[in-house]
Amino acid sequence: MSINDFLAILPVLVVLVTGVLVMVADVFLPEGRKGIAALLSGLGLAAGLGAALAAVPSTGTAFAGMVVADGFSLFLDALFAAVGLVGIGLAYDYFKRMRLQRGEYYTLLLFSIGGMMLMGHANDLVMFFLALELLSIPLYILSGFFRARLASQEAALKYFLLGAFSSGFVLYGIAMVFGGTASINLEGIVAAVRDGSANLTFLLVGAALLVVGFAFKVSAVPFHAWTPDVYEGAPSPLTGFMSSATKAAGFAALIRLLLVVFPALGENLAPVVSGLAALTMIAGNLIALVQTNIKRLLAYSSIAHAGYLLIGLVAVNSSAAGDAVAAMLFYLVGYAIANLGAWSVVVAAEQAEGRGLELEDYSGLGRKYPWLGVAMLVFMLSFIGVPLTLGFWGKLYLFRVALESGLFGLAVIGIAASLVSAYYYLRVVVYMFFRDGEGVARRDVWLNLIAIGSAAAVVLMALVPGDLLQVAAQAVLRVP
Amino acid sequence: MSITVLSGLAGSLLAAPLQRTAPRRAGWLLALLPLGLFIYFLTLLGPVSAGRTLVETLPWAPGLGVEFSFYLDGLGLLMALLVSGIGALVLVYAGGYLEGHPQLGRMYAFLLVFMSAMLGVVLSGHLLTTFLFWELTSISSFLLIGFDHKDETSRKSALQALLVTGGGGLAMLAGLVLLNQAAGTLSIPALLASSPDLLKHPLAGPAAALILLGAFTKSAQFPFHFWLPNAMAAPTPVSAYLHSATMVKAGVFLILRLGPVLGDHPLWTPLVSLTGAVTLLLGAWMALSQTDLKRLLAYSTVSMLGLLTLLGGLRTPLALEAAVVFLFAHALYKGALFMVAGAVDHETGTRDVTRLGGLARRMPQTAAAALPAGLSMAALPPLFGFIAKEVVYEAALESGLFAFAAVFAASAVTVFAAAVIAVEVFWARPAGSPPREPHEAPLALRLGPLVLAGLGLLAGLLPGPLDRALLSPAAAGLVGHPLQPGLALWHGLTPLLAYSALTFAAGALLYLARRPLRRLAAALTAGFGPDRLYDLAYAGVFRLAAWQTGLLQHGTLRYYLNLTVLAATGLVGTVLLLYGGLNMPAAFPGATFYEVLIAALILLAAGFAITTRSRLGAVAALGVVGYGVAAIFLLFGAPDLAMTQFLIESLTVILFVLAFYHLPDFERFSSRRTRLRDMLVAMLAGVLMTVLTLSAVGIQIFPTISSYYAQAALPEAHGRNITNVILVDFRGFDTLGENVVLALAAIGVFALLKFPKRRQP
Repeated sequence: MSINDFLAILPVLVVLVTGVLVMVADVFLPEGRKGIAALLSGLGLAAGLGAALAAVPSTGTAFAGMVVADGFSLFLDALFAAVGLVGIGLAYDYFKRMRLQRGEYYTLLLFSIGGMMLMGHANDLVMFFLALELLSIPLYILSGFFRARLASQEAALKYFLLGAFSSGFVLYGIAMVFGGTASINLEGIVAAVRDGSANLTFLLVGAALLVVGFAFKVSAVPFHAWTPDVYEGAPSPLTGFMSSATKAAGFAALIRLLLVVFPALGENLAPVVSGLAALTMIAGNLIALVQTNIKRLLAYSSIAHAGYLLIGLVAVNSSAAGDAVAAMLFYLVGYAIANLGAWSVVVAAEQAEGRGLELEDYSGLGRKYPWLGVAMLVFMLSFIGVPLTLGFWGKLYLFRVALESGLFGLAVIGIAASLVSAYYYLRVVVYMFFRDGEGVARRDVWLNLIAIGSAAAVVLMALVPGDLLQVAAQAVLRVP
Repeated sequence: MSITVLSGLAGSLLAAPLQRTAPRRAGWLLALLPLGLFIYFLTLLGPVSAGRTLVETLPWAPGLGVEFSFYLDGLGLLMALLVSGIGALVLVYAGGYLEGHPQLGRMYAFLLVFMSAMLGVVLSGHLLTTFLFWELTSISSFLLIGFDHKDETSRKSALQALLVTGGGGLAMLAGLVLLNQAAGTLSIPALLASSPDLLKHPLAGPAAALILLGAFTKSAQFPFHFWLPNAMAAPTPVSAYLHSATMVKAGVFLILRLGPVLGDHPLWTPLVSLTGAVTLLLGAWMALSQTDLKRLLAYSTVSMLGLLTLLGGLRTPLALEAAVVFLFAHALYKGALFMVAGAVDHETGTRDVTRLGGLARRMPQTAAAALPAGLSMAALPPLFGFIAKEVVYEAALESGLFAFAAVFAASAVTVFAAAVIAVEVFWARPAGSPPREPHEAPLALRLGPLVLAGLGLLAGLLPGPLDRALLSPAAAGLVGHPLQPGLALWHGLTPLLAYSALTFAAGALLYLARRPLRRLAAALTAGFGPDRLYDLAYAGVFRLAAWQTGLLQHGTLRYYLNLTVLAATGLVGTVLLLYGGLNMPAAFPGATFYEVLIAALILLAAGFAITTRSRLGAVAALGVVGYGVAAIFLLFGAPDLAMTQFLIESLTVILFVLAFYHLPDFERFSSRRTRLRDMLVAMLAGVLMTVLTLSAVGIQIFPTISSYYAQAALPEAHGRNITNVILVDFRGFDTLGENVVLALAAIGVFALLKFPKRRQP
């Protein structure tokens, strides 16, 4: 172990150490001053973001091959740190308002972000599992952060139980892969596949189990069951963070596993992943049609977007693999921005005791708070994939990759599903602008900043989509 | 050119403030913007009619090979002139039509956004930017149709129009991506210059079909035509501008634009001309039964869009020229007549022809605008509509009897429709009385129809200059070689003239028999059509969604777990069955007495755990299962593993007991059937896991590690007790970590147990 090992995962370390510091500092913070914990966490995440941006991608490994610090992982580090920063912005005023300002929230959030970052760096199946647990367990606890609310408790329990299953699947899959290749290190697995010493049956079963386990984390149908209930019950700022970041973490694992470890199995796994993608797009979008609660609506929307992203995962096995990864990263960024923005509006509109979350409550909100309203319009258009938003380019790149890889069926389903999604996204806009109502929203500087900043980013970055794609295309994975 | 396209967007930002500061003049002032654009485009007539095309390119998204480029040829210029010219008139008209409306500023803003988008569609030099603007027109159309957002029908119609045209747009996007695959570019100049080999590419056919699908939805071709009549819920300025003169022509425009690129594909002519012909006849037929002026005009528009599509599908030089000429004529007269219908509606409070009549006396100037426009629509000389109809007949005759018969029948109905709006409303004896006493329309409402109808007359009298400057160059770009300008009002006594006279006579007969005809047509068409299909599909999607919700989002955890376990088992099982051969051990070694005994004990305990009603009983039974497993470890010579298992089991049981002490007994919530189902699911998962485990038994990857420890313990760690050495030396850090975790867990448990006591005073 040398200093270089630690430097390789510097962003992760910064975030995790900040987490510990906040936990300790929290003990000394007086009741009413817990906002300092938020500030500290924000500083830590900013430092982590800086470390991720400053780091130079390396082609080697660290900690005896356990982790890598390639362009892909650093890109994700930056994404997670940025999403975490916004997540803290969402949470600060909200918990003050709900009289639940606690340091633990920020500590656990930081640990979870650390886990997500580690997921991007993992180069060893055990690291994947460690990262998975590190990111999941804090989220289980945070989902139940409203201890007094029954819905919140239910969310935590459901998330924990189903999450434990998914962890079980991952672990079992790791065991199977090990059984098939006698290695848990990605390099070793790849080498075993290459020299033909691997038992392909076990490898395949293990890969399938790993896909199932991570399909939970990205909420792919039929492993999505927890998503709406948890998203609804968990505190809104957490849901906003979770839906943007956990999905990215899950996809980070899936991309690396499918692209680096199992390309030989591509042909066998493609039908499985294609099936998941099709199911997820169809079910997610269709069920979203009948939602009346904004949190559930966004939950299904997040499921639907996981479906589009899964198309890229199928394409990862084709000759267009590099394009597919870039398209997925681009999509993840676009989705994260619009999604965090949308959740900032939800957080602003939520009232005490979980009121103000029905679509009815959004009546007239757009005319009363034009900035929030216009921002929400932008996010919804981006979710649909309307031109001149980031979401459009994301879908265009993804569907282009799909067509280039010959996945016509999936592309057609994706396009049809986008069409269906227009209905429920626009319904939010209709409520906000075209109905009269008594909707009220919080005027908080951070929330407004997030909403308007995200909306501006969605529109402005859409004017120069090439630049972001360029960055995403340079975030290459290390292939042993 | 980029400025001309984007200026509308900038103008839309000005609209609302301007409306507030100058509520009466805002429309006139804002109209200066499109008027300026119109004049700018007029100045381009010179170079374009000389056969030049103007191209302007800005790099944009290089990763995709997308550039922000503009391409202006004759066709683009013709469309741009229509869009900006009619745009100016419509802005003025909207100011009069919606005077005093609280959201008039928003109307102006939307109209300007639409104008920008539409200019973008017709001037784009890259198909992807065409698509961007295309979708923007769909969205602005959605906003404009739903302008009266308190009205349920207008909201519904707006959504319908968006779903149909937006859906078509998405299909078009897929087609464009395929075209990009086939041709390697989406730049219009590059595509126009591409080699004919493009058509041999296997993707060319699907690409053409998908793009055409988008064009058909936009131009309201059968079976997507139904959104256009429903879109008449929009305020009339919108109908006049978007839904007759410009936006609905976008599909036709695209068909004409891509004709030189994809038109020689064997799919093109049959698909396009057949769709056009069906739409032509269907629109005409539906128009017969309409009594609402705007719906009548809408169906007539559908019919004429069909005609344009038909011409775009035939692709003979004459057909293309006819398409260009007729497109221009139609925009002039139909825009004017829509505005007239709006003015009538505005002044009388109704658009129902059965309640209107003899308005010429009360609204002389509106009638004066309606008459030439109507005559132009009825294709009577000396109006431009007559000239256009002659060219269309000539092109149709050239392509065969069927095409001509279809065009002839639809033209007769067009004469009928023209008579209804221009004659019945203004000159016939009133059949009923309108809700309001009619007055002459204000200037803002008269200006548009008068200008457009006047232009139709002027163009009819002087077709030559117009043809040379605008129409011939536009058609020449489509045909591929310069055309001889040959439009004239009088060609002498030709068969065409006879056909025109015959058409007029047939239309006049239809008009005279209008009352029984309306009843007959209404009776024959009632009840079914794609509109109904759309409603059914719409409702069906929601029913499907609700059903799926019940299936996938039940709400109970038990159900989720079932779903999850079943899906995972199914997935892994399928993978295993499809691709994997299992290597089961060939023979099982015989079991000893103790093994059988312990196995039986485990099974018994497991059975007890799932049947007992007592929580503590279940926990204890699970403990027995754990102990049994530990005993098996012991039997197979793994005492350390067994010890760990014993400890963990004991701890778990104790913790369980502590935690569940206060909870009541299990309740039997579920029926026998659900429990049976659960059991089956559990068994399935269990069987899969057993199979996997059994097949893994045969694998030994590494030599066992114990020999290494036995050899290395003394020389490396100086200890004879191997277990000790492993715990404190070889795996010292692990042990430390485990201790810390245990201690932390213990503190946590302690805190949990203490916590409730503090709460209770």
